[in-house]
Amino acid sequence: MWHKIIEIKEWFGDVAERYKLLRDFNMAAKMSFISGVSPTLLEAKITKGDPTYKHAFSKWRAGGFRIKALSGQPLSKSELIEIGRVVLDNETLTRKMISLGWDTLEVHSNQGHNGAKWALKEYANIGGFLS
Amino acid sequence: MILFQPNLEETDVVEATVSTVDTSISIFLWIAIIELLIILFLIWKLAKAANGSQRSDAIKQNLKNAKDSKVNMGDLMDSINGARDLYKELSRKCHPDLFINTDKQLIAQDLFQEISKNKRDYKKLTELKERAVLDLKVNFK
Repeated sequence: MWHKIIEIKEWFGDVAERYKLLRDFNMAAKMSFISGVSPTLLEAKITKGDPTYKHAFSKWRAGGFRIKALSGQPLSKSELIEIGRVVLDNETLTRKMISLGWDTLEVHSNQGHNGAKWALKEYANIGGFLS
Repeated sequence: MILFQPNLEETDVVEATVSTVDTSISIFLWIAIIELLIILFLIWKLAKAANGSQRSDAIKQNLKNAKDSKVNMGDLMDSINGARDLYKELSRKCHPDLFINTDKQLIAQDLFQEISKNKRDYKKLTELKERAVLDLKVNFK
């Protein structure tokens, strides 16, 4: 009984931690845009993700972490890929995202349907238990 | 004809009642099937969770550590916006070929490896830039 209660508590803790990560990202992106460091305003949100990228900790229908350019200078394809690669190169962030249930990283431009996506499990270097 | 009329009506009523009972039975049957499927699904989930609990403590600890780790989003934003240009500048000015046959060649090689390893980490690249100024006397304008 107790372990079920602990599991439920952990589940709610995970949800809160997921939204905290999103809020921190969006706040940092906003501050960066306002201060003029970033020419484009970025926003992160939760999406369905790609079901083919799922792993042992994927959240059902909420496994996508989408970074979208909201306004400012439109992003080229190489810039989209560069944003994704910066996130993936940050091993701590990638591991944290996996442990919080994300399985797909998506980066979208503010114009059209241009975008890129990656399977997070391929960049975490945690071990073979994710498959 | 008149004598048979009430009987016919009764027959209709009985048929109507029977058909209602059939419908209700079929609904309950479907509910029972759905409940059975839900129970089977929950049993399967429990069995899967029991298998999952056999995972080693080290992996669980690793996962817990990943959850609790702190990520500096400000540094991430700096990396998204500035790491590319800084890497280009550093790799151009600190390339080991520029220090060939000098006493700084080894330092330059070591520094260039570090720069290549951290090419998307703005904070690390900034530290390496300071090191380049101190050790290689590179002039960044």
